[in-house]
Amino acid sequence: MSDTPSIECVDVVKTYEEGRIRALGGMSLHVAPSEFVAVMGPSGCGKSTLLHLIAALDRPDSGSIVVAGHDLARERKLDHYRARHIGMVFQLHNLLPTLTALENVQVPMFELGIRAPKRRARAQHLLELVGLEDRERSRPAQLSGGERQRVAIARALANDPAILLADEPTGSLDSEAGRNVLDLLERVRADRDTTLVLVTHDASIAARADRIVRMLDGRVETTTKPRSASRRATALATT
Amino acid sequence: MSFASLVFRNLFRQRMRTTLTIVGISVGIAIVVALGAITGGLRQTAGAMIGLGGADFMVAREGSGDITFSVLGEDEWGRIAATPGVARATGVLMHVTQHGSNPYFPLLGIRPAQLAEAPPELLSGRLLAPTASDEIVLGARAAAASGAGSGSTVVVSDHTFRVVGTYRSGASFFDAGGYARLDTVQKLARKPGSVTIVYVTAAPGTAPETLAARIDELPTLATVSSVAEYGKVDQGTEIMDALNLAVSTLAIVLGAIAVMNTMIMAVFERTREFGILRAVGWRGSRIMRLILVEAVLLCLVAAFVGVALGVLAAQGVLQLEAVKALLDPRYSPDVFVRAVVIAVGVALAGALYPAYRAVRLSPMEALRHE
Repeated sequence: MSDTPSIECVDVVKTYEEGRIRALGGMSLHVAPSEFVAVMGPSGCGKSTLLHLIAALDRPDSGSIVVAGHDLARERKLDHYRARHIGMVFQLHNLLPTLTALENVQVPMFELGIRAPKRRARAQHLLELVGLEDRERSRPAQLSGGERQRVAIARALANDPAILLADEPTGSLDSEAGRNVLDLLERVRADRDTTLVLVTHDASIAARADRIVRMLDGRVETTTKPRSASRRATALATT
Repeated sequence: MSFASLVFRNLFRQRMRTTLTIVGISVGIAIVVALGAITGGLRQTAGAMIGLGGADFMVAREGSGDITFSVLGEDEWGRIAATPGVARATGVLMHVTQHGSNPYFPLLGIRPAQLAEAPPELLSGRLLAPTASDEIVLGARAAAASGAGSGSTVVVSDHTFRVVGTYRSGASFFDAGGYARLDTVQKLARKPGSVTIVYVTAAPGTAPETLAARIDELPTLATVSSVAEYGKVDQGTEIMDALNLAVSTLAIVLGAIAVMNTMIMAVFERTREFGILRAVGWRGSRIMRLILVEAVLLCLVAAFVGVALGVLAAQGVLQLEAVKALLDPRYSPDVFVRAVVIAVGVALAGALYPAYRAVRLSPMEALRHE
């Protein structure tokens, strides 16, 4: 991994309702390129807010966030930044209900200036990647929870992002579907060298990350390396 | 999937609402089209009246309100005829009366010699004889409506006329009437020594405009060379124009409200979807374009339906004898252009605010929307 952080948050503060609710209280986080970071913590500790700020879906009250070399406070075209650098997977898939799986995956490509035939071919390839090549004509309502989340992952990869942000992507799935989705995210990250920040409540999922960041009251409480990551690092060092 | 297919998909996801909106707007556009066609027909009738018999212009009483109320004495007719540069001054008394099912039968009183100088196209028979007082030359539509032809008789204003010929002028109003001797019509109309209009033809070497300016100097008379000047002697077309404008404006306002209502509801329901689109990188301007194109497409469909309904309505109104006698609807290109312009105007007026609202929200606010 490179020394230049892929994501660097410094003293980020975010409040809601005119300061009455403090979601992030001076949060700092550094994520290296290609790193898989799991963010854990109790509900309301600011995990999702952190992802939303990194995705530039919202703006912090203060502090600095630099992602893939983009200082978000100075970035004027945040739509452009999201379209080119960020892939986002939500807990509740957030697919467009009137579009088929294939069409949903094509949606982010409109901003990339990709022409219709190429958009279609690329979406087909991504659905194949997530194992849904036979469901491309299905609408979200015709898919299972796990399938919808796989379509959402395919959509998140449509712009070939450097950063993949996943907000409890297995939270609404049964254990098997959740495991499959996580396997897929890990495989995609490994194949594409993508930085993955994943919010989860599930310790077994977090254990598969390179690093676990535990949050409390809008700040990082502890940062640990899971045993599996240590084993992977050891294996890498000896090869 | 193209941007256009996305627009179509969104537009017809609430079929009933979209259909009702299209119906609402298309009724407005239908009224605009029908009124436009009828007004165009009235203008055409006015234009035909101005150029009757190949005259350069007509002279009538200024401010008559309705051309049939214009009364010019024979002395005034004589002064017009005596104006330097006048080659021909043909006096016509227009007596509008009931005949058969036509409540607006124009019985045109004219001197036979003057009719012969600038005759309409004869379809059968002959023009008026110089002396016979009971002859009439019937317009083609009047002849067809009454089943009369050369040699038969017709009763107009309780007077029995012998039909000596039939003609076609090209203007429905005149084709639904007939020419008779001036003195006979003056008696029937109880307007002795009067005419309604004097048709003037300029002598060679005299510019009609110059001649019209000279005649305009005669007190309380007005010359009319074009439809635009027709309001000087008949306010019918002006009233129709004003009515047309008022109804069109009302149609636009009501249409815009309908579109705004539909688009506000559509945008409100889809707020979360717009949040998703923003989250995956769509620019606000692209979302705005999506909403505006949806509204424009909705209104263009309404324009298409409205034009069809408008033509049907105009043709339906024409089945009324009273209207049939007055005009032929005129479907000029500007009537259809106006329908499309109104449709696009209504779409933009109705959709701009909802579109602005949709893109003003931050992606997170939109995503939190339930």
